[in-house]
Amino acid sequence: MTSDDLKHALESVAATERPATDPAADLARARSAARRRTRRRFRAGLVGVASVAVLAVGVSVVVDDDGPGAPTVIASSGVELVAKTFEATPYTFDLTPRGWSVQAQQPTAVTIVPDDGSTSSDPDVFVGKLVILFDANPPDGRVVDRDGRRFWVSGDSGYTTLATRTTPGEPSGVVRIQYPKGAGWDEASMVDFLASVHVGPGARHGLG
Amino acid sequence: MRDDERSSEFVAFTRAHRTDLMRTAALLCAGDEAFAEDVVQTTLTRLYLAWGRVRRADSALAYARRSLTHVFIDEARRAHRRRESVVADPALALASEPATATADLATRELVRAALASLGPRQRAVVVLRHWHDLDVAETARILGCSTGTVKSQNARALAHLREHLGTLDRLTLEVS
Repeated sequence: MTSDDLKHALESVAATERPATDPAADLARARSAARRRTRRRFRAGLVGVASVAVLAVGVSVVVDDDGPGAPTVIASSGVELVAKTFEATPYTFDLTPRGWSVQAQQPTAVTIVPDDGSTSSDPDVFVGKLVILFDANPPDGRVVDRDGRRFWVSGDSGYTTLATRTTPGEPSGVVRIQYPKGAGWDEASMVDFLASVHVGPGARHGLG
Repeated sequence: MRDDERSSEFVAFTRAHRTDLMRTAALLCAGDEAFAEDVVQTTLTRLYLAWGRVRRADSALAYARRSLTHVFIDEARRAHRRRESVVADPALALASEPATATADLATRELVRAALASLGPRQRAVVVLRHWHDLDVAETARILGCSTGTVKSQNARALAHLREHLGTLDRLTLEVS
């Protein structure tokens, strides 16, 4: 079976005749979902839990509070980092990216996802997500020094990875964050966010 | 972005690309048109909610196909628990077709049954690699796995399809 044969075979299933669909129906469904989301967020705001909602799968780091007393915005590229601490044990973050939430936390890694539902609900699927990793592999890539600390920047077409060594008093190793491209992170905000990570004693090196 | 602006862009996108998304979904869902329609509707809703990202993407259609694949895998995982899996032997499935079935219908049924006998992620690999002609690295990025996993899944899936579709020419001739 050649590649053309396979494509022809797939075409036989893909090309089934289907009735025309009015985009208005898709739009109506989408708007309805948007309204539900807005109502959900409004109700969450009424609870008044300082804009931090606890999800069943972990700790939400959503920051919706734009009012007086809102956390200071540290960096704003496409992603806003606010000076608000959150924990994804055994990791602690001094900065919180607005509109992103912790999806999964393990001793070896933390996964943080945008709140718009654009990424997979499977924590093992990393597409479009922030992935914080801890390992013992040497960092590599372009060197960036910031405030006396060294960072390494590398990546391919879909992701940029920043790495830095843990600080004295933390378990020895390298913390890496894999940032999806096109999600609004620029290099300054990537460095700021990585620099805000503290590795607790329960962290373990991942493989790879 | 104003809501009416987002809505008008969304409608234009849907009008232009819904058919493409439906064709991809039909393959991912192994010809289950109702499941494919669900996947497309969910995908379009997600796209609307994240329209800013769609606009910023290098290719809105590529972004949509990636979202579609994620929705399919999520739904397939849930569907596995609530739907009856299609495990029919493709040859038996074909045999159940009326004797007057056309060659196209017979081919479609054979391919559909062969796809249905693959796991959802293997099917996704086949669709991304051989329908959309994506390379191994891009397929791995979309599926959130390693390139090695894509290669091994692809090899297994092709071997499986080859086994089930190897008789395609003969069967096509037989019903012609």
